[in-house]
Amino acid sequence: MKLTLLVQLSWRNLWRHRRRTVILLTTICFAVGSVLVFNALLRGMQVSMAETAIDNLNGHFKVLAPGYLDDPGIEKSFEFEPIGRPELAGDAIQGWAPRVRVPAVIRSERETRGVQFVGVVPGSEEISFLGDVAIDGEYLSGPDDRRILVGQALAQQLETGVGRRVVLITQGVDGGNRESGYRIAGVYDAVGEGIEKAFVFTGLATVQELLSVDAVTEVSVRLAEDDQNPSVLNSLTSTFSDLDVRTWQDLEPQAAMMYEMADTTVAIWFLIVMGALIFGIVNTLVTAVMERVRELGMLRAIGMRRGAVIAQVVIESMLTMTIGISIGVVLGTLSYLWLADGIDLSAFAEGLEMTGVKPELVPRLWARDVFLVVGLSLVLGILASIYPAQRAVKVQPLDAMRG
Amino acid sequence: MSDLVVECLGLTRVYGDDAVPVHALQGVDFRVTKGEWTALAGPSGSGKSTLLHLVGGLDRPTDGTVAVDGEKLNDLSESQLSDLRLRKVGFVFQAYNLIPVLSAVENVEFIMQLQGIEPPERHERALSVLDQLGLGDIGERRPGELSGGQQQRVAVARAIVTEPVLLLADEPSANLDSATTLELLALLRTINEQRGVTIVTATHDPIVMGHASRRVLLRDGRIESDEVVSSPA
Ligand SMILES: Nc1ncnc2c1ncn2[C@@H]1O[C@H](COP(=O)(O)OP(=O)(O)OP(=O)(O)O)[C@@H](O)[C@H]1O
Ligand SMILES: [Mg+2]
Repeated sequence: MKLTLLVQLSWRNLWRHRRRTVILLTTICFAVGSVLVFNALLRGMQVSMAETAIDNLNGHFKVLAPGYLDDPGIEKSFEFEPIGRPELAGDAIQGWAPRVRVPAVIRSERETRGVQFVGVVPGSEEISFLGDVAIDGEYLSGPDDRRILVGQALAQQLETGVGRRVVLITQGVDGGNRESGYRIAGVYDAVGEGIEKAFVFTGLATVQELLSVDAVTEVSVRLAEDDQNPSVLNSLTSTFSDLDVRTWQDLEPQAAMMYEMADTTVAIWFLIVMGALIFGIVNTLVTAVMERVRELGMLRAIGMRRGAVIAQVVIESMLTMTIGISIGVVLGTLSYLWLADGIDLSAFAEGLEMTGVKPELVPRLWARDVFLVVGLSLVLGILASIYPAQRAVKVQPLDAMRG
Repeated sequence: MSDLVVECLGLTRVYGDDAVPVHALQGVDFRVTKGEWTALAGPSGSGKSTLLHLVGGLDRPTDGTVAVDGEKLNDLSESQLSDLRLRKVGFVFQAYNLIPVLSAVENVEFIMQLQGIEPPERHERALSVLDQLGLGDIGERRPGELSGGQQQRVAVARAIVTEPVLLLADEPSANLDSATTLELLALLRTINEQRGVTIVTATHDPIVMGHASRRVLLRDGRIESDEVVSSPA
């Protein structure tokens, strides 16, 4: 039995009830299109959430001294350069950013606040938000720059600004206080107020000198691709075997949980939309089979096998799905392209600024998501044809002859 | 023996359940020799269609045996029966013979496609059969665009294009006027005489009976009379 024959027959049968077919195709196409757009929006949110988490001094991975996370302090530090960096596939890593980060108190003429005092290598901070943050004043010139950067929100609280001096107090390895005055080189405007209030930056060597150490407390590692390659994590853990290697998900469990939830949401949305769609398809196919009982009986009478009858129903379903899905993918992609410049969320930005989510949502349509949606839809198309095919195969040759 | 196209022995078909059995056929012995044109006659409910269906492998007997072209149908599986119908039997029904979404040529080609005959050959054969049956100019039309008589002739074309050993027709003229019936009968006669196709028709129509070379009269599921017509009309 030739498949082309069945396809041809199914194709013609499809257009027997033009209106019905068009309605069904429209439904499929909207279902697929909406799933893709919804998926793209959620992916956009996911990416933005992950990027924010990675940008916020985490990187994809971070190397820390054991115990630092529970009780941060300069005594939980390590010397990075002597260990060296693991040999990795040349372009897997975008950059390394060693830092000294210690709890500190910042004091202006008017106010005092608790902050994280972070010594950085300014050139290496390309890989964090610091690399492209808006700065009023100047950026740090190098690891031994003795000036500092403070966040806008903090500067307001301290009632200070660019060019003014502040004092930072922190604890040395011996537990004694270390205190020093610094001039503010610039005031940075980060996405979240939380960040602005938390971090005060200066050159790495400046903090090391203040605390009389050569060590760092953390090294962030940023990958070139967003896919967290487990082999990179493996070589990091084996190179820094005495240290603690954490992923951004470990460091930002809340963001990680929301990231995971977005996946689930897409899946649920897909199931709801497609579930409703399947009812429509099953219904239409059963109707088509019932209308054609005599014809199917006749086909059986002249010698068409049962398998071919089943195949015909399945092919009809697949044809409908394929056409509907194709148009749906085109429509979904067009809507995505229309939104691709980003959706301005600044109407809600006030709330968002607090949470650290960027005020613009840039949807992402990933080929692998499209393939997954298309593939699952086709599978559903096959599933939807099982029951109608069962009905069709029950038709006996003699049904062609009856009243 | 080799001339026997149909051989039914003790053929019995009971419909319904044990409480209200309907004895459609009650132990019929029925043989058809190659080249015959047999008309099954009898009042409504006498079992004509039932006999035709059993012979064509569309239904299975309650008791007794059917053999077509030496093949015993009782022993065949569902799909073997399908294949037998496809290879050896041509059917013309009262109505619903054709696939509405295919043109006349495609309908005729369809059955050859089921048989796995390659495109150029089957197209040629379909055209030539339609030509011979005087349907050459309506080949591209779909059944809905054909008259009842034309549809029945296309059905005959489809039934004979595969050169079956047996052509079964159940009330083929029921929906036709008498002029069209005569055309159809002339066609069947040609097929019977020139191609030597064995035909069995079930009919109420005296005109149809008049064309057959043998008349079998059924009553209450039994053969009442069986006569060879010396010179059919
Ligand atoms: N599927 C069925 N279920 C129950 N009874 C049936 C069935 N098919 C046929 N019968 C009965 O079997 C008997 C023979 O029917 P059959 O159709 O063979 O008669 P027929 O000679 O072809 O009649 P007609 O001239 O009206 O077509 C009738 O009593 C009919 O009611
Ligand atoms: Mg009948």
